[in-house]
Amino acid sequence: MEEEKTPKISVWNLPDVPKGKLPAHLELQRTRVICTPDAATNTENIRYSGAYASMGVDNSLRLGHFRDNFRVEVVRLTEDDMEFDMIGIDASLANAFRRILLAELPTMAIEKVLIANNTSVIQDEVLAHRLGLIPLKVDPRMFEYMSENDVPNEKNTIVFKLHSCCERGSSRIKVLSNELQWLPRGSELTVSTEKPAVDPTSRPRTYTSFNCSQDSLPEFSNNPIGPKHDDIIIAKLGPGQEIELEAHAVKGMGKTHAKWSPVATSWYRMLPEVVLLQEIEGEIAEELVKKCPVKVFDIEDIGKGRKRATVARPRSCTLCRECIRPDGKEKEKEQRIYWDKYVALRRVKDHFIFTIESTGALPPEMLFTEAVKILEDKCERVITELS
Amino acid sequence: MQITKRVSYERDTKIINAASFTIEREDHTIGNIVRMQLHRDENVLFAGYKLPHPLKYKIIIRIHTTSQSSPMQAYNQAINDLDKELDHLKNAFEAELARHSGSQSRQY
Repeated sequence: MEEEKTPKISVWNLPDVPKGKLPAHLELQRTRVICTPDAATNTENIRYSGAYASMGVDNSLRLGHFRDNFRVEVVRLTEDDMEFDMIGIDASLANAFRRILLAELPTMAIEKVLIANNTSVIQDEVLAHRLGLIPLKVDPRMFEYMSENDVPNEKNTIVFKLHSCCERGSSRIKVLSNELQWLPRGSELTVSTEKPAVDPTSRPRTYTSFNCSQDSLPEFSNNPIGPKHDDIIIAKLGPGQEIELEAHAVKGMGKTHAKWSPVATSWYRMLPEVVLLQEIEGEIAEELVKKCPVKVFDIEDIGKGRKRATVARPRSCTLCRECIRPDGKEKEKEQRIYWDKYVALRRVKDHFIFTIESTGALPPEMLFTEAVKILEDKCERVITELS
Repeated sequence: MQITKRVSYERDTKIINAASFTIEREDHTIGNIVRMQLHRDENVLFAGYKLPHPLKYKIIIRIHTTSQSSPMQAYNQAINDLDKELDHLKNAFEAELARHSGSQSRQY
C-alpha cells in the first residue's frame, strides 16, 4: 500500500523569502512581547545591529529612520497630570525619562525648621518631617542651589512662618497648611550673640540675609508663594498648646530626599495587543466577554442571530491574563477550554504609554521638557569631559 | 574632595580596538541608553556597562570595535546621535502639545 508522500520541491523552486523584510514570525519576535499564562516571554530588545544580517535586514537604527518613525500622541492633559504615547523609542530611553522625572528634576521643599515654641503632642522632628513633605507651588528654576557654605539669601531660600495656638477652653483645632505664611523679607528670628549690639539702631542679625524683598521680583508680586494645597493637616492642637516656628525652603533633587521629587509618580507601560487566533462564536464568545474585568472584548452580531467576539478596547487591557487562563475545577474535565488557543496577549515593544502626575510645582508638560533637557545635559557631560 | 576627571579612558592591552570608559557620578539612566545606542552601530562588536558597586556612584562602559573604527570614535558617535535624537524628540513633543491644546481649546 502506498503512503501519501509529501510533495518534494527542489531547492531552486522554493518560494523566495523577500530580502530586506523579515518573515512574519521573526517580525513578531522582534517587535512583540508575548504574554503566556505563566509569565511574559520574549522580552529582550534585539538591538544588535547584525542580528538579522543573514536575512539581509539591517537592524541598525539610523537617525533618519528614527525621525521617520517617531511619534508622540497626547491623550489627556490637565493641570496636574498628563497621559501621552511615545511610539518608536526604546525601553531604555523610556526608563531614563522615568528615572529623571522621579529623581533628578529640582524642586523647592522645606529643609530647615527653626522651632521657637512647640507645646503640642507632635514631636519637633516629626513636625519638621511633615513640613518637608508639603508640596510648594513655586517654579524651582527661579532659584539657585544652596550649599553648606552659602549664606541664605533671597535667591536660594524661601521663608515661611507658622504660628498657631489653641485657646484654653476651646475644643481641639487642626493646623492646616494655609496657615503657613510666606515672609518675602526673610527671616524674622534673630540670632542671639554674646556681645550686646554695639549700635542700637542697626537691625539685629537674623538667620537669613535678604538684600531685597522677594515680593519685588516680578514673578512673585502677583502670585505669592505658598503650599499647593490649602487643606493639608500639619498638626492638631488641644487647649493650651502652641506651635511657633519658621521654615526655610531650599532647592534640591529627588535623589537626596523624596520630598524634592516633582512628580507624585510617573510610570509607563507598553501598549497591549489582544489578538483572536480563531473565530469565536456563540456561547464561547459570551463566556469570553464575561471573563474580562475591564471589558476589552465585545459581542458583534453577524446576522442570523449568530454572535462573534471582537476586541473592542485593547488599550485598557491590564494584562490580568484572565482571558488566557485555562479552565480549572469549576468545569467538568471534558468541558474545560484551553483559552490560549483562542486569544493571544502581546505587548508592542516600542510603543510606550507614559503617565506623569505632577505635585504642583510645574505643570506636567514642562516637567517632561525639563527632563529631556536634563538628559541632553547628561549626554554632553559624558562626552565633553573626556580628557 | 573634588572629582576633577569625570570620564577616563583605558585601552585594553591584550585585545586591539577595545577600551573601557569609567564615568563618575552616573548610573543606569545614562549607562543603559549609551549601551543601547552603541549596539545600533555596525562597527561595534561588544558593548556593555556595569555598576561596579551599587553604593558607589559610577559606571564602566566597555566597547570592542572592528578595525574600521575605534572605541573612542564609536563612543563619540553614539553620544552625538543620542543628542540629535533627543532634540528631535523634544521638538516632536512640543509640536504635539501645541496641536493638542490648540484642538482642545476649539472644542467647547
